[in-house]
Amino acid sequence: MKHGRFMVGLVGVAAVITYLVWTGVSTTMVYYLTPSELMERVEADPAFRDMGVKVSGKVVPDSYERVEGGDLLHRFVVHDLEDPTVTFPVEWRDALPDTFSDEVEVVVEGRLNTDGVFEATTLLTKCGSRYEAAPEDMAR
Amino acid sequence: MTVLGEFALWISLPVALWGMFLGFAGGRTQRGDLVLSAERSVYAVFLLHLVASIGVIAAFVGDRFEYWYVASYSNREMEIFYKITGLWAGQRGSLLFWALLLGLFSSVAVFQNRNKNREFMPYVAAVLQTVLAFFVVVLLFAQVNPFERLDFIPANGQGLNPQLQNYWMTIHPPTLYLGFTAFTVPFAFAVAALLNGRLDARWIVLTRKWILTSWLFLSIGIVFGMRWAYEELGWGGYWFWDPVENASLLPWLTATAFLHSIQIQEKRGMLKVWNMSLVLATFLLTIFATFLTRAGLIESVHTFAQNLTIAYIFLGFMGTMLALCTVLILYRLPQLQSENKIESFVSRESAFLFNNLMLVGAAFAVMWGTLFPLITEGVTGQQISVGPPFFNRVNIPIGLVLLALVGIGPVIAWRRATKKNLQRNFSTPFIVGLGTAVVLWFSGARHGLALTTWSISAFVLTIIAIEFWKGTRARARIEGEGLLKAFFHLVTRNRRRWGGYIVHVGIVIMFMGFAGAAYNVDTKHHVMPGDVVEVESPMGHTYELTYEGLSVSIGRGQRNLMWQMIASVSVQVDGRPTGILTPEKRSYVTAQQPMTEVGIRSTPIEDLYLILAAVDDTNAALSADASAQGIDLQVLVKPLVSFIWLGCLMLTLGTVIALWPSADRRRLESEAVDAAPATAGA
Repeated sequence: MKHGRFMVGLVGVAAVITYLVWTGVSTTMVYYLTPSELMERVEADPAFRDMGVKVSGKVVPDSYERVEGGDLLHRFVVHDLEDPTVTFPVEWRDALPDTFSDEVEVVVEGRLNTDGVFEATTLLTKCGSRYEAAPEDMAR
Repeated sequence: MTVLGEFALWISLPVALWGMFLGFAGGRTQRGDLVLSAERSVYAVFLLHLVASIGVIAAFVGDRFEYWYVASYSNREMEIFYKITGLWAGQRGSLLFWALLLGLFSSVAVFQNRNKNREFMPYVAAVLQTVLAFFVVVLLFAQVNPFERLDFIPANGQGLNPQLQNYWMTIHPPTLYLGFTAFTVPFAFAVAALLNGRLDARWIVLTRKWILTSWLFLSIGIVFGMRWAYEELGWGGYWFWDPVENASLLPWLTATAFLHSIQIQEKRGMLKVWNMSLVLATFLLTIFATFLTRAGLIESVHTFAQNLTIAYIFLGFMGTMLALCTVLILYRLPQLQSENKIESFVSRESAFLFNNLMLVGAAFAVMWGTLFPLITEGVTGQQISVGPPFFNRVNIPIGLVLLALVGIGPVIAWRRATKKNLQRNFSTPFIVGLGTAVVLWFSGARHGLALTTWSISAFVLTIIAIEFWKGTRARARIEGEGLLKAFFHLVTRNRRRWGGYIVHVGIVIMFMGFAGAAYNVDTKHHVMPGDVVEVESPMGHTYELTYEGLSVSIGRGQRNLMWQMIASVSVQVDGRPTGILTPEKRSYVTAQQPMTEVGIRSTPIEDLYLILAAVDDTNAALSADASAQGIDLQVLVKPLVSFIWLGCLMLTLGTVIALWPSADRRRLESEAVDAAPATAGA
């Protein structure tokens, strides 16, 4: 007899976990886009601004400025990896990673606000040789 | 030496394959000579890999930069310690190191059973050699041979990434590998049981210690990784749901489930198929963890260069193992029927089952989240990823239920708990838990999840404390011993049970530490020398931080260091001076970018964590007047972080107690051996 009730319990737990995963994915997922793709999406559907997105691009040389004032605020411009004419400004309110510099590849996560400024909540710099470098480069 | 090592690595492949075929053949034909040869091949492979590993180390110590691996991970200036640990610093060496550890454990397992459990050993040796052969194939044919030479000899190597030059980082990977590889032994015994048809709990009894050992190393390895991230990555966290962290967590989750569910099989003869599936899943997940780290399919801070050959070989191996084992389990399905049924919803069996379901559910969720970018890219062509919010959202509720089960599981009655049993065991702890919640609420700790965690923790700790008290008192009364002596005897007479309780205490303490993160303080300040920053901690302390100035030391390449910029910050807690913290920026010859070294002042209840985020003008600081430089100082207060390390210590202590061989255990085991054939024949 108890077997039936037991199965109900098990199925219930499985259902709850599935529900958690499902809603977790749908509320926290972020699109991984290139700057060009982001611009296209936002143009086609302005509501897309509210989606969380992760965008990778390169920091435009000399675009970085530190905004003076009490809190940390950094501004810089990011351009598309393939099409350098597609750019957007980024605002970042935290310490910059050690590896941040001009032309470094960055991944910013956040939202594009209505002024066209990307408000980043996370900022990662990608460094190709982080854990493995090719000694072939040493040959001359 | 190095050439010999390379030679040894090549020889190990035919030897491993030889052992594999002889093991399977010997098992089928029951020919002792074949089996003996298979077993000896296990020792041989281990010795060959030992020679190969020494060869790699010799190349590192001798600065043999004509080897690609050495040139990539070492240079002349590196300390000898990091040259030796270079064996597992990079992808190529760590695959060999993995094979070495697996060979070591395989040899120990074969040696332990040289005169007993002979019905298992042919297949055990065969399975172990299969896995070993797989790793050698990867090493030799997936462009990851550590002995590969460059076509020129560089004057110097590139040196090790400075972030890896950290004490925790040198012991974190080997510890995890010990955990991963040790689990291959229970897996081999499980497959042997499926092959020889000895499907009672015998294979579990034989490998219980292996399972616990593996679990212990996995646990410690994961925590070492957390410690490294906390000290070295310089952002104040210890876990960020990175794919490779997740990959190490996955086998831990299933191994933990397995550790619990085997008790049901031992005591009640149930869950046989489930246990077989869990041991298979855990083994595959240990391989998967290596795969994820080594193949670079998912973006992560840990991943080595992307390598598709490795990806295909690993996927092929995992797929084949999964298919073969599934067929075996299906073939043996009639013999894997439960001997009993679950009688009640409210029983220990049921609590353990829910524990299993939660752990496997968590593993499923973590895996899904980790692979999500790959899945979405495959299906829609669009990469969509989920980050820490997803993992926290799913795993915190599951974690809290598990935490409660840590208390409930071990004391609820087997088969069917009566109302009286429930009242007797749970009313006091329940009141304590509720009381804790009320007290915390009124003292201002009103973060919902943290409050819940601490309240459940109090509930569980009370249950365990009562168990210890009841046991000690009963023993003191019956044996007429003093309380302290009775307590000691209580633990030593049933190490598995009481060791398990101590592990549980460790887990609870760790959870309390995790919940502390709800009260993290994170502030950023721009300060000039002499400026004072005041930070209030959630525990009611006031930190007064005075930035004393910056000092620069130029390293000129010694130990690969170019320069260090050290900020001196004197710390006062509640008006009392407690010393100076020195967060730093360092630049290494071997890395293009500066590294952050944090300053930590750790106390049992909270850590003060200082990050030198930026220096106003780096060039000026290096060339002229450093002391006048302003800096960006990030001040973090992290409550209860020490609890995590303390909990891990308790967990280790408890597991070691459970593992410790005792006179009673030896007697029990010999009894089990005597009794076993009778049950098998029945």
